[in-house]
Amino acid sequence: MSSAETETTETEDAPAKDEARDEVLALIKARLGDAVVGEHLIPGVDLWVRVSVAEWGAAARHLSEAGFTFFDYLCAVDWSLSPWGKSEEAVATPVAMPADPKDLEHGTTGGETRFQVLARVYSPQRKIGVHLKCDVPDDSLTVPTWTDTYLGADWHERETWEMYGVRFAGHPNLRNLYLPGDFEGHPGRKDFPLLARHVKPWPGLVDVEAMPGEPEEEEGATTDGEAEA
Amino acid sequence: MGLVEKGKIPKPLSHLLNLSRKYSLWCYQWGLACCAIEMGAALGAPRYDAMRLGVIPLPASPRQADMVIVSGTVTDKLAPALKRLYDQMPDPKYVISMGSCANCGGPYWDSYSVTKGVDQIIPVDVYVPGCPPRPEALLEGIVLLQQRIGKEDMAERWRGDPIVVG
Amino acid sequence: MAAPVTERQHGYISSTLAEARVNLEIETEGMTLNIGPQHPATHGTLRIVVKLDGEQIVSADPAPGYMHRGYEKLCEVRTYPQVNTLVNRLDWLSSFSNEVPFILAAEQLMGIEAPPRAQYIRTIFHELGRIANITLFLGEMGLQLGAMTALFYAFRDREHVLNLMEAVTGGRFHPNYDRIGGLKDDLPKGWIEETKAAMKKIRDFCDEMEGLVMGNEIFNARTRGIGVIPQHIALSYGLTGANARASGVDLDLRRDDKDIAMAWKHADFKVWTHPDGDSFARYWVRLQETRESTYIVDQLLDGLPSGPIMAKVPRIIKVPAGEAYVETENPLGWMGYYLVSKGDLGPFRCKIRTASFNNISVVPWVCKGVYVPDIVTILASLYFILGDIDR
Repeated sequence: MSSAETETTETEDAPAKDEARDEVLALIKARLGDAVVGEHLIPGVDLWVRVSVAEWGAAARHLSEAGFTFFDYLCAVDWSLSPWGKSEEAVATPVAMPADPKDLEHGTTGGETRFQVLARVYSPQRKIGVHLKCDVPDDSLTVPTWTDTYLGADWHERETWEMYGVRFAGHPNLRNLYLPGDFEGHPGRKDFPLLARHVKPWPGLVDVEAMPGEPEEEEGATTDGEAEA
Repeated sequence: MGLVEKGKIPKPLSHLLNLSRKYSLWCYQWGLACCAIEMGAALGAPRYDAMRLGVIPLPASPRQADMVIVSGTVTDKLAPALKRLYDQMPDPKYVISMGSCANCGGPYWDSYSVTKGVDQIIPVDVYVPGCPPRPEALLEGIVLLQQRIGKEDMAERWRGDPIVVG
Repeated sequence: MAAPVTERQHGYISSTLAEARVNLEIETEGMTLNIGPQHPATHGTLRIVVKLDGEQIVSADPAPGYMHRGYEKLCEVRTYPQVNTLVNRLDWLSSFSNEVPFILAAEQLMGIEAPPRAQYIRTIFHELGRIANITLFLGEMGLQLGAMTALFYAFRDREHVLNLMEAVTGGRFHPNYDRIGGLKDDLPKGWIEETKAAMKKIRDFCDEMEGLVMGNEIFNARTRGIGVIPQHIALSYGLTGANARASGVDLDLRRDDKDIAMAWKHADFKVWTHPDGDSFARYWVRLQETRESTYIVDQLLDGLPSGPIMAKVPRIIKVPAGEAYVETENPLGWMGYYLVSKGDLGPFRCKIRTASFNNISVVPWVCKGVYVPDIVTILASLYFILGDIDR
């Protein structure tokens, strides 16, 4: 589900109460109980729920029974930082990264591990979607599968496996989806280099010129930093 | 034809042979991505009709094709198939690389799975730049190729000299 | 020569033979057939490994990835305007529609909304993209089943829409027209009248296709009852767009999503569903949708507000930290971007939820037991774009 802004013309600071999503959150908490370790609700916008990894499969079952029969997608997020900087420019001087995954900046609903699995399901009756997250244990990198509840999770989990190396316990056929069989590495991870950028770095980020009357920005100006077409 | 190989063909005859070859190109469409739509518009649509140049986009298999238009991104997974299909085409064969993905990797120049230019795998005769190139640009590329064929020395080709790329 | 067979011997022999029914189970090995990656019937480089038993399919296993360009990784190293350019090329027939959810997600994180005129024009372009995309489908499905004429008509009438887009943005497809905060340019003079004329031509084209293709009895025989997808399977696999609506699932984000910063709420349109769920239903739904899109464009053009087309945004866009997900009803289905931002010039993680990925994941399920020619029908009716599957 999507929306642009919570503010309406009447109220400025107080967002409207989102009863539908509140009810959904209450329902999830009622069914999952302790498994819910984090939540984030933006009224009128979206709802995120973080569950513990042991109950990941059960969460899918509960939601599917509660009317969230539409499977949207499943993916993973790697919260570590790229060792070469965001645009992989600083190849010579690697960027320092916190050693403990708990110190990484996680997004909404927090987190404690390097990888998190993110999934979304939608309820055709309520017309509301829910984002589910769970931490992937750093040692085993394994998460229960959703394929017994949602058939569509098959391909999504295969893609998550090949991009991030996250295993899904119980998946019938966990093999590469996109990449050739002899591809080494998991490209989605932040420490997978884009070698073309290391060989020949991108000449400039943004073409920086002040608007007439505006002060100069901080970033250094480049001569030929044009976007490619 | 021993005459052709030894280079003993008289100029008017080779000119005639080149003329007949360049105006009857059977084009094998290797339409991969967005450029394939512009190629389809150029070859199949009534407005930018390429058949008036003699290019017929209907060969059923690569073994019946004179030229191939590689339009779209070539990935490393697809590259062996491309090479194999190129090898299946009989000589004399020509390649037009259409679009910036096929020319040099294009907007995906830093991707881990894209072949940065189809000329890493097969020799290319004409590069048509653009993302996607307009159908008229592809038609110009075809016309350039035809001009090149017109000036070709058949003896060199028949002798099987290696094709120099660059 | 032996002694002539007497009447009694003859009767004995024939009765014994009749009893000795030898049933020879002719063992044939199943055949593995590779459809693609280069094949006229797959729209691009989709490879389907099909195990056959005679003419029937035992298992069909699509092997995508021949157009995998690594979008999610590339988005992480680019700035927002660069990602916008790149993202055009996912669903390459209706390119503007790919930009919209990304821009909306970035605007949601920034807390800004495009001005009303920009929202209307965005919606109009989104619908024009839908028309450009689906008119090609209407012709191409005919081509897949052997009717080449439909394709020529489709290309010809698509040119009207492409001309319109080129007049405003300079690009026939890949317009790269959306910007965070609004649009790049305003509409040129006379564009509205031309668009209305073009919409009339598209409606004529739809009527033509209805008679030419849908009325054709061969088309009917080849598509009715083929590739039936029931509702619960459609929901479980996440089918969206016309594929879901043709199975009776009444989902349309244009109508259901009331909060999105687009102008669909200002237009009055019908959502077409069909109960059958077969290939014919999918063609039928898309044809009706194209016509409906022309009505939407007409209504929005009539109600187009005046005003600025760009909100106040800084020159260098830095989107504040947060996560946002925006999904829109694109021509192929639902397309969404999960944008994770850490306050940089570019996204930290951009998960792209594409419609064709889910749409094609149903192929192993739906192709069990169908005949080989029907697989072409099913693929054509599911309608995918390779860039959308492979990203």
